[in-house]
Amino acid sequence: MAPLVKVSNLVKRFGGIVAVNDVSFEIYKGETLGFIGPNGAGKSTVVNCLTGYLPATSGKIEMNGVDITHMKPHQRVHMGLARTYQIPRPFPELTALTSVLASSISGKKRINQSFQDAMYDATHYLEFVGLFSKRNILARDLTFYELRMLELARALATTPQLLFIDEVMAGLNPGEAKNAIKMIRKAKEEFGITVFWIEHVMAVLMEAADRIVAINYGSKLAEGTPDEVVNNDDVIEAYLGKGWREYA
Amino acid sequence: MVEMELKRDRIVIRLGTKKWEWVLEPRYWRNTLLWAAFLMIAPAVAYFYSPGLINTMISANIYAAIAMPLALMTIGTGRMNFGPQFYIGVGGYTAALLSIAYGWGPLTTLPFAILMSMVAALIFSPLVIMARGLYYVLLTLLLPLVFLEVTFIYTDIFKGDTGLFGIVPLLDTGNAKNNFLLIGYFSTAIMFAYLWFINKILKSRYGLLMASINDDEDVAHSIGININKIKIIAFVAASTLIGIIGWFYAHYFSSFAGITYLPLTFMLKVLLVLMIGGRAQVFGCVVGGYFVAFLEMLMIRFMGPIQPLLFPIILLILLFILPEGLFGLYRKRRYREYLPTIHVRR
Repeated sequence: MAPLVKVSNLVKRFGGIVAVNDVSFEIYKGETLGFIGPNGAGKSTVVNCLTGYLPATSGKIEMNGVDITHMKPHQRVHMGLARTYQIPRPFPELTALTSVLASSISGKKRINQSFQDAMYDATHYLEFVGLFSKRNILARDLTFYELRMLELARALATTPQLLFIDEVMAGLNPGEAKNAIKMIRKAKEEFGITVFWIEHVMAVLMEAADRIVAINYGSKLAEGTPDEVVNNDDVIEAYLGKGWREYA
Repeated sequence: MVEMELKRDRIVIRLGTKKWEWVLEPRYWRNTLLWAAFLMIAPAVAYFYSPGLINTMISANIYAAIAMPLALMTIGTGRMNFGPQFYIGVGGYTAALLSIAYGWGPLTTLPFAILMSMVAALIFSPLVIMARGLYYVLLTLLLPLVFLEVTFIYTDIFKGDTGLFGIVPLLDTGNAKNNFLLIGYFSTAIMFAYLWFINKILKSRYGLLMASINDDEDVAHSIGININKIKIIAFVAASTLIGIIGWFYAHYFSSFAGITYLPLTFMLKVLLVLMIGGRAQVFGCVVGGYFVAFLEMLMIRFMGPIQPLLFPIILLILLFILPEGLFGLYRKRRYREYLPTIHVRR
């Protein structure tokens, strides 16, 4: 099966610091790919390079066989990439509905879509994440969990093929976190999207991911099924330190 | 080609694979129509009782017509431009120089004034991509001041010290009072045209895209908005609309001097129109324009020599006690629109 996105030898340098060093992996259609690594491993930098937020120093990113390495972020969104942020970044002065409406209008090009049609679309996505009753509330007045859901609705409204989820669990309580995971699963089933999921909480990815890629210091450590990756010595060492066996 | 279809409450327009819907909401038109009728009748009443008031109304309309494109530019680029009067200078000098050199009337100079403002705006449009925050403010602040210097340095062309005279007037009916009335209506027409056009843009999908750029540029980019395109279009369109006001000034007074429009004092007035009316709200600009113009007139009439000092102080106090502006007070009581108010953040 041809991969949806193929990343080959991705390198990102900030001056002398190598944040991402020669990382290659593939994302297949319909899967949930987990992406793990300790703090500062370069996870978010990889996502920023993939979504066009940061230009890659070298390497190649292909989507459906099209080279997107030098495309601008909005062009990549039109190709079918969408992202959420680690810390929610809403449009503070827009209401929940208009935030989603904006991405419904500006996402992947849809023919014969008027402003009002986009509004119907936006209500659908808001209803999907359970924020319909808050549609007329300014985004800055929403709670943290609602902001996360708004981010998800905003990303889904661009009709992506591949959704990058950046640490969805950070700052949520266990109940909310459970809902969030359920919502992402539902989105995957209902909209047929592929999910690229960055997460700190291993338990979540063990349950949700089909495959996991682990990185540390910008280089790929391991790739495989969740069981393979968590039992990989390099991964355990990266998380727990070299002397972990003495305390195990 | 273009297909139009009239439905019960809307007109559906189709062009190729694009579709627009123009929702007609007559129940919301009442207040707008009442105010429009009032503004149309006011010059005629003033014509019989106090013709001097027409002059104030023209200033008010023109202040509003400068502030409205500035509001559009502020929202569309997500940055506060402190030198919109630069484009008044460009439009005004183009019209004035052409009219004096070739004896052209206002209708002939208008396309050239539009063209020159557009070209000038295009030349400076990379500013909205490169600079943000304070740097953008400083750069835009410098533009009109540099232009003012240029009018003094090349004084044989621009007549920086005396101003240009002998421009073909806008209208000439042979009677000064009638001229005044007609120009009053013309300025109202310009103001209404700007109001309609800019309000239409801000309520459309492009207005929403501009609002999201105003809120957070990076996020707007990441949901698929081509921010550079929208920012440049908003910048150039608004600058061109301001340039047309320069053309109006040149032909209205039959003279044009950069020193009247290019210094900061004029910008301060425009900025206050924008803020007193309500931060970057198009309807607020009309309220602010009339408020500032009439306050200025009253101050000149009754305060005499301390007017230049008192005028900004009164306006600053008003800014302090009325942070939402005059139109904001009205909106607070009658909130009925599905699209939220757009506030200026930077």
